[in-house]
Amino acid sequence: MSLGIPSADFLASVRDALGREAGPPAAAYQHLLESAGELELQAAEIRRRNAGDLPLLLDKMAGTAALRGWNVQRAGGGEDALDYVVSLARRLGVESAARAESAVFSAVPVDAALAGAGVVCWPAVYDADRERDAVRRRLAESGLGITGADYAIAETGSVIVLPRRGLSRLVSLLPPVHVAIVRAQDVIDTLDDLFVLRRLEYHSDGGDMGSYLNFISGPSRTADIEQTIVVGVHGPREVHLVLLDKE
Amino acid sequence: MTEPAPRRASLFITCIIDQLYPDVGVSVVRALRRRGVMVDFPAGQTCCGQPLYNAGFTAEAKRLAVRVLDAFDDCERMVVPSGSCGAMIRVFYQDLFADEPELLRRAAALSERVYEFTELLTEVDGAADAAAPSDDAAQSDAGADVAAVAYHPSCHLLREMGVRRGPLDLLEAASGVSVVDLPDAEQCCGFGGAFAVKYPHISEQMLADKVEAILQSGAATVTACDMGCLMHIGGAISRRGLPVRARHIAQVLDDPAG
Amino acid sequence: MAEVTTRDFAAASRAAVQDPQLRRAFGSAGAGFDGARRDAIDEVTPEVWEQWRQQARSIKEHAVGNLDYYLELLERNVAAAGGQVHFAADANQANAIVSEIVRTRGVKVATKSKSMVSEELGLNHVLEGQGVAVFETDLGEYIIQLAEETPSHLVAPALHKTRGEVARLFADKLGVPYSDDIEEMARVARVALRQKFLDADMGISGANFLVAETGTLVIVTNEGNGRLCTSAPRIHVGITGMEKVIPSMQDLAVFLRLLPRSATGQRITSYVSMVTGPKRAADEDGPEEFHLVIVDNGRSRLLRDPALRESLYCIRCGACLNICPVYQRVGGHAYGWVYPGPIGSIVTPELVGVAQAKDLPNASTLCGACREACPVQINIPRMLLHLRHELAESPDSQRRTASDTDALLARGFAAVMSKPLLLKVARRLGRLAVKSVTRDGKIGRSRLPFLSRWTAARDLPAPPARSFSDIWRDELSRGDR
Ligand code: SF4
Repeated sequence: MSLGIPSADFLASVRDALGREAGPPAAAYQHLLESAGELELQAAEIRRRNAGDLPLLLDKMAGTAALRGWNVQRAGGGEDALDYVVSLARRLGVESAARAESAVFSAVPVDAALAGAGVVCWPAVYDADRERDAVRRRLAESGLGITGADYAIAETGSVIVLPRRGLSRLVSLLPPVHVAIVRAQDVIDTLDDLFVLRRLEYHSDGGDMGSYLNFISGPSRTADIEQTIVVGVHGPREVHLVLLDKE
Repeated sequence: MTEPAPRRASLFITCIIDQLYPDVGVSVVRALRRRGVMVDFPAGQTCCGQPLYNAGFTAEAKRLAVRVLDAFDDCERMVVPSGSCGAMIRVFYQDLFADEPELLRRAAALSERVYEFTELLTEVDGAADAAAPSDDAAQSDAGADVAAVAYHPSCHLLREMGVRRGPLDLLEAASGVSVVDLPDAEQCCGFGGAFAVKYPHISEQMLADKVEAILQSGAATVTACDMGCLMHIGGAISRRGLPVRARHIAQVLDDPAG
Repeated sequence: MAEVTTRDFAAASRAAVQDPQLRRAFGSAGAGFDGARRDAIDEVTPEVWEQWRQQARSIKEHAVGNLDYYLELLERNVAAAGGQVHFAADANQANAIVSEIVRTRGVKVATKSKSMVSEELGLNHVLEGQGVAVFETDLGEYIIQLAEETPSHLVAPALHKTRGEVARLFADKLGVPYSDDIEEMARVARVALRQKFLDADMGISGANFLVAETGTLVIVTNEGNGRLCTSAPRIHVGITGMEKVIPSMQDLAVFLRLLPRSATGQRITSYVSMVTGPKRAADEDGPEEFHLVIVDNGRSRLLRDPALRESLYCIRCGACLNICPVYQRVGGHAYGWVYPGPIGSIVTPELVGVAQAKDLPNASTLCGACREACPVQINIPRMLLHLRHELAESPDSQRRTASDTDALLARGFAAVMSKPLLLKVARRLGRLAVKSVTRDGKIGRSRLPFLSRWTAARDLPAPPARSFSDIWRDELSRGDR
């Protein structure tokens, strides 16, 4: 049920202020004309371009991410990545690490590796015996949150996370330290690339935008007191980006 | 291909120069004539109307603007020794007359031919440079006193007329002048016409900061292309008895030691 | 609607310029934020920056010019994603919508991320009246909520406060030991608010952009509070002005480049959160309900006037504040309402009623620095002039800004300047009038009416014996070769 004034009335008053007749804009908007087929062509071009320049693209990603405040670790493969995560957990002295769902964890099985180091790594999902608030509390008390990345954007040094099974929004947000493990094939060059790919998924048959899309570009920070930058306000103070150079 | 140098210019003298700083007008005429530009001074001109326009009195502003159109409709080039009056004529006349097609047409035509003083000099010198190296710059500074000059870019000149580099180039090329850096040069001096007397408490703060920057620059002379700003800045300098002079760029170029 | 004190601009600004602490705080907006903005532009090159501005401007022109169409598309796509759009003609209606959601869902605790529109509506007040505990969670907003103040900057709401004041405030209100260490204060806020996020039934956010194509709300933040507000509670309510809609998700690219650079010089903020509807069946976290409240509250007045329409292209980056020489000296509160600085001087009069905000369009030197800084090329000086023209001699005395004396002076000036002969006479009279206060060709401190406000801090040259016109006639007219 819509509250407030009926949308037809509201829109009519806007139209009246504009002095315009109902209907689409006189000049059609280019991006809104693009069909899934056209977006598919653009997406193919993006993938081709990015794959062609992959080493360069990964260097750029690593460089901009570092500028955003990520601790960047280039990893040749899953083993390297696991070593990094384990030594990080040791350095932080954490007892519990929460993990989101992601395909990347089949190549980088952090649960087992961390367990071997005496750290409980648990998938942040609800299950029959744990109700919502308990899971959230446990998450907030975990010293480390580990996620994959659906995309990473070299232009901005951003990691993109989309909804996944489990508490995928909060794993990268509640613990004080966040590690994102990024696969080479998920790195794209620009913001424009990202939006083409997302729009393609949206406009494909049965597509859905998903309930959220988050850009994470470094640690949580503020400059609200005397313009002085401080990290770790409501989100993590420390963020690590493990970039897998090979699939 | 270079355009031939402008040979003829019709001078518009702003009301502030006419009434309070006539010497500036004299320097403008001399600087142009020295470069071989024939200067005339169309009769009947008084004020471009900007003070009225900025205060919201459009009917009165139009009255004065029409007089300017009448006086300058036929000129080849109009030269204005002020960025803010220049902007009024080039940019704002077309807003002022937006609903009056005939006047709008005249305003648009005139806007193509309006030059702020340094714009015209730059064009003349540019054409001269292309023809033969200027001997102005070749004159030796030896023996002469070199004036340390800070340039304040006035707001309308900078942002409405888009004149950024030209005045500095002219100053740098002039003999007897050494240009010093003015900190925060592009900050407004706080004049703003009626603003200076409507909100003197704000205006005076801006002015104090501008004067502070001038003192920091080590300049003996502060210059600009607008007597409005210079009246404001110079008024504070004079009140505080500071050893800095406020002079229009035409005066500095005409006679650096003054 | 939030309290309006715009009538007091003259007095408030007079007090503000005498406060050295405010001078430091707002002056630093120029040095800090604006300096960082310039560096960011240099990095991408001014040429590229101009292309982005141009592109952003055309998107806004198109979106605002067809606003009804894109709002309708937005509404459809929000609904398709499982959310609900509510339209509010004014502040009361918007507050009533949120109140109704609160009442029917039994909301007890709400967390808020920064929303200037909710400041405009005075929403917190209304919700508190209903017994809801409302917590601002952006650090700056949290500070001013504790201090019971209003924001003084679009991006940094607590810019006017020193670290010492915040430390005292936290000690008094939160019972923590006094510490003016900024890191420690941020930690205190984190601890104080963490549990609120988890307890809240409702999260309230603003929106930086609304994407019509997909029904998506976009917020651009740094602290992570925006993500928490839109993720943890079971209800998310987005509240925003109707002008925030852009046609396609593709358009976001250029705005995400422009907004953070213009606001703080950042290449991108720590977080950009894009919300499309409530959580899906398969998601285990995220809100179960998503409401989007779209507010007019006077914006259609800006829309209706072609000369003011472009004020609705504003993306609230604050660049025009940071660079404004007046804002730097008087700060945000002197402007008397939610939107300060140059853009505030345009939108405030139209949103709160011109009669209450007559000073604002005149509180500018028209230096144009704001226009040069604006990422969407809004020509603020031209709109200020337009308002001055509308208001100076408005037939409606409530709206009229010029006093009878002003009008008399203007007409007198125009009359004199229209007749060169009259000007000659006036010049003589003028010279006589100032003779008694002239020393060495200068008029010093004077108590003469009109002159005194100038001469309090500045000398004025006395008119010399001959005007330029006299000199031309006597000498120069013969001098041409
Ligand atoms: S008017 Fe322009 S510069 Fe000012 S806040 Fe809006 S977008 Fe930013």
